[in-house]
Amino acid sequence: MAALALAFFTTVYSLQKGPGFGAVRVGAWTCWPRLGGPEIDPYARAVVATDGALPLGQNEGIAFLATADDSGAPLDSRCDYEISGAPPPARFWTLAAYDPEGRPRPNIAGRYGLISSGLLRASDGAYTIVAAREARPGNWLPLGEKSRFVLLLRAYQINAGAVTDLFDGLSLPHIQRGACS
Amino acid sequence: MSQTTRRSDPLVAALPWVLAALFGGIALHLIVLLALPVATPQSAYRRLTGALAPGVVHFSPRPAPGAKDEPAFADPFAALAACRFDLSQGPLRLRATGDGEHFLSVSVRLADGAVIYSGNDSHAPRGRFNILVLTRIQADALDEAAEDAEDQGAAGAEDELRLIAPAKKGFAVIRALGLRDGDIAAAEKIAASAECRIEKTAKSD
Repeated sequence: MAALALAFFTTVYSLQKGPGFGAVRVGAWTCWPRLGGPEIDPYARAVVATDGALPLGQNEGIAFLATADDSGAPLDSRCDYEISGAPPPARFWTLAAYDPEGRPRPNIAGRYGLISSGLLRASDGAYTIVAAREARPGNWLPLGEKSRFVLLLRAYQINAGAVTDLFDGLSLPHIQRGACS
Repeated sequence: MSQTTRRSDPLVAALPWVLAALFGGIALHLIVLLALPVATPQSAYRRLTGALAPGVVHFSPRPAPGAKDEPAFADPFAALAACRFDLSQGPLRLRATGDGEHFLSVSVRLADGAVIYSGNDSHAPRGRFNILVLTRIQADALDEAAEDAEDQGAAGAEDELRLIAPAKKGFAVIRALGLRDGDIAAAEKIAASAECRIEKTAKSD
């Protein structure tokens, strides 16, 4: 009985913490480079399966998750966020908002993400994305009504010979909080 | 002195039970952990291909609130096609062709979610994937057959990639990206042109 309880609690606890091993942090973003390869560890594999996620294979790309802004404050859809700065070195990248379980949230525009090839850019290639509930001119990422959300940045065909070396000096977009309602 | 001994007696007696519970707990934890990826109905394998016969292609609906059978964290710009394989019924032939403009990738995964192959259209010759997923025994049988055919002057497959799978059950995912909001239909067309077929000709061990 005690063994059963112990097994239950350790399993539940280890799965709730997310695929912890091998996480790499870049600014506000976290990624798990081993999720998409054969060296994935059993904890991460169990987390991916129970989440129902389909992580990108290493040669497809890499996904970066943000649950907080640059200052470390949790993302909250009652606020506006400005996302700008160095784009990932990839052929395409997409940015999408989800609830913490990974489902898109209903929003007034019926759009759930943006893609690098569809962004409005300045003449020097710079871009600014605004994530907000209400419509914004330019690159608007609509947010849903419920306050908690996460951002997922996916870099497709990221310029990576060796995935782990890549993170030295890699910079990713900044997430800066603006006004809150 | 004798009192201390007596007091510690129940503790000593309980020690084997505590250890048994501890090791039992650890063993159970590991068993559950290892069984979970295959057993859980939430996994992408079950969601995408649970109801499919091997070789039948399933197209994922566009990610939207309330969409069922969608993998979690699905990319709104990606069109997904998936098919299941069971190599005991024969090797899986997988074909997909990109147009050079849209991103196209193929990944082969086992039932527990492990990615055993992934590649994008820039890796495939002329953007064409031609993958044969098979077991070691099936591969050896094909090699033997090929040697016999070579003796008779027949040519082998040109751009085929052979992938030896360490387990018999799994699924393949074809992913195509739209270029902008109104372009998802083009990506869906590319994903829809993907082909999954169980090859009956080769010996299924």
